[in-house]
Amino acid sequence: MAKNKQNKNSLGALRKQEKKLGYVFASPWLLGLGIFGAFPILASLYLSFTRYRMVGTPAWIGLANYRALFFNDSIFWTSLYNTLYHVFLSVPLGLIVGILLALLLNTRIRGIGIYRTLFYLPNVVSIVAMSLLWLWLFQPNFGLINQVLLPVYNLLDMEPLGWYRASNLSKLTIVLMGLWTAGGSMIIYLAQMQDIPRDYYEAAEIDGANGFQQTIKITLPLMTPSIFFNFIMGIILGFQVFAVAYIMTQGGPGRSTYYYGYYLFDKMINDNNMGQASAMAWVLLVVTLIITLLALTLNKYVFYLGEQD
Amino acid sequence: MKKIALITLMLITVFTLAACNREDIGDRIEIEFWHMSPVGSESYSGMRRIVREFNESQEEYFVRGTGINFWDYWDRVNIAIASGNAPDVGYHTLDNVILRASNQALYNISDMIQADIDNDVDTIDTSVFLDNQLEFASYDGDLYALPFSATVRMLYYNLDLFHDAGLTEADVPTNWDELYTVAKQIDDVDGNTINVLGFDPSFGEGWYHQYLWTAGLDFFDEDLNPTLNTDRHLEILEWMYTFNEEYPRSTLDAFGEANEMLGINPFAAGRVGMMIATDGLYETLRPLEGELNYGVAPIPLPDEDGVRVNWGSGFSIELYDNGDAERRDGAWAFLKYIMDYDTQLDLADTIGWLMSNIPAMEAYAEGNEILEAFVNELDYAIDKVYVPYAPNWHAIDWDQFFQQGLSGELTAEQVLQQARNLYIEKRENYEAAN
Repeated sequence: MAKNKQNKNSLGALRKQEKKLGYVFASPWLLGLGIFGAFPILASLYLSFTRYRMVGTPAWIGLANYRALFFNDSIFWTSLYNTLYHVFLSVPLGLIVGILLALLLNTRIRGIGIYRTLFYLPNVVSIVAMSLLWLWLFQPNFGLINQVLLPVYNLLDMEPLGWYRASNLSKLTIVLMGLWTAGGSMIIYLAQMQDIPRDYYEAAEIDGANGFQQTIKITLPLMTPSIFFNFIMGIILGFQVFAVAYIMTQGGPGRSTYYYGYYLFDKMINDNNMGQASAMAWVLLVVTLIITLLALTLNKYVFYLGEQD
Repeated sequence: MKKIALITLMLITVFTLAACNREDIGDRIEIEFWHMSPVGSESYSGMRRIVREFNESQEEYFVRGTGINFWDYWDRVNIAIASGNAPDVGYHTLDNVILRASNQALYNISDMIQADIDNDVDTIDTSVFLDNQLEFASYDGDLYALPFSATVRMLYYNLDLFHDAGLTEADVPTNWDELYTVAKQIDDVDGNTINVLGFDPSFGEGWYHQYLWTAGLDFFDEDLNPTLNTDRHLEILEWMYTFNEEYPRSTLDAFGEANEMLGINPFAAGRVGMMIATDGLYETLRPLEGELNYGVAPIPLPDEDGVRVNWGSGFSIELYDNGDAERRDGAWAFLKYIMDYDTQLDLADTIGWLMSNIPAMEAYAEGNEILEAFVNELDYAIDKVYVPYAPNWHAIDWDQFFQQGLSGELTAEQVLQQARNLYIEKRENYEAAN
């Protein structure tokens, strides 16, 4: 009994020490957040209740910016819809492609390192270069993709797809383009796959499980922490989509790729309406927070290898 | 020990280099000037020389010029003004001087001119600038900026393509009917491929508001209420949309995009017979002198009742109120230098812009038919009105609808209706917050 208590005490001290170390390691980031992050964040909260045209002094107007956004701004809702559409499509597709790539590249064949590098490579390409490249590929009249698909169009007797130039396809085009960088999440999945003990597969093999069954019953469940991480990060980053639309489509055609971040940028830079832009930033924060919190409820389905009883 | 010596040596080198970078200005007052001739640009050394010449003539002030790329300039200057760190002298857009002037971000230029007159000191002669530009630089009856550059749009025509179509310079169109007839004679289309397009109203600097102005219309009335709701507005937009209606939109798009994506100017490449553009295109075409036979003419008017008016956008030059009287005086001295006849002439040659000092520009353009035509056209220049509730009314606010009309997703009537609704919505929101 006394030995148990002593063990518990030393475990508590160890945890306390670990906690301290955690804070020490996190302190540069925390200091950065406090000094460089907290002030702009709080300032933007204040500005969201003001009329501020980027010159002069902000004037307090209460909830007028929020009222205007919610009740008399059609583009606000269009941009929010476009962004939600992007998030709900890009996050699951990104997860699926990332996992499939990781499963494909988790084999022991010659030159696997080269393949992994090749799939990761798009992540180090600048977003401007990437957007311009895909602009060429998706160009409806002379782009490579439509040229390759030409026999299919002829077979189905249909007009070539307009991709980013068609308002009903432009959002999908940007999502498809984004899948090119799925190699980023693939690396995380691969790292986790390498961590799965071989014993599980050997035991399954003895029990007669085939490769597919092993993937479904062992690999995927044990990959859930990284899937969950990429899921949450995908949601957060998805709400911030901006640069690709800015470069490729300028929000068009017909505001179909006019995402929330783009509208916020225009409010600030082009309309000189810093007050409303700040209000938009806070609305986005709340929306992202709500959806992220909802997503976090899925945590109960995540299997953490080191934490089972 | 070796390590310490190495680090010390590195630090000395870094500090020496850093020190070398800043000129010794003694006890002169430093003035900050932001321009758009960054390191690496063609105009960098010229601009540096112009600033240096001022500094060499000075015992009291020293101007430190900072060149910023055109595309980065706007964000930087706006944020600098918002945070109270604006340069002492800088460029901005002439059409929204009122925004900064009404928010006490700028010094009153009229007061400074008056003070010079009272003290019997040489000052800026504002009669050398265009009246309409001065109007945009004014707020509440006083000048808060000066026009720095002046730009107008003209119809460029390719004489080689004219000749190929059996036309001469005498056939250069002056009204929309002639424009259509001539354009169709130049068109060279092979099935679904456009080799040469005579003209398209939406190419280059073909703006709906410019066409409206020539028809005596506008986007807004005098009280800044959005209009866009008359039959004539609709007629003009439909004219733009249907000018080349015999060719499928996809063919026109492919033609336009091929030029855009290859980074070629369709006029410079001899792919369009006529195109509306600014004097900037003349600068692009300069290296092709002798290869491309072209001329410029006023933009054709709708008909004989049309109004000869030209969208004359330009930059302003402003003195930002940083609350330091000594720096203000230095900035004013520099402004007088940069706006005088000789410097404006020098600047036009250095930057390649038409400057705002009209006598200087007349001298600059003398003997050059193209530039002379541009300078003459400045008499018809007006800038777009500043609409506080929709400062970007002519760009993204309008363009999204306009493009939908071009692609056929919206009719011209829907485009006008939806754009008008957006302006009304913006106005309501603006008023609610003010």
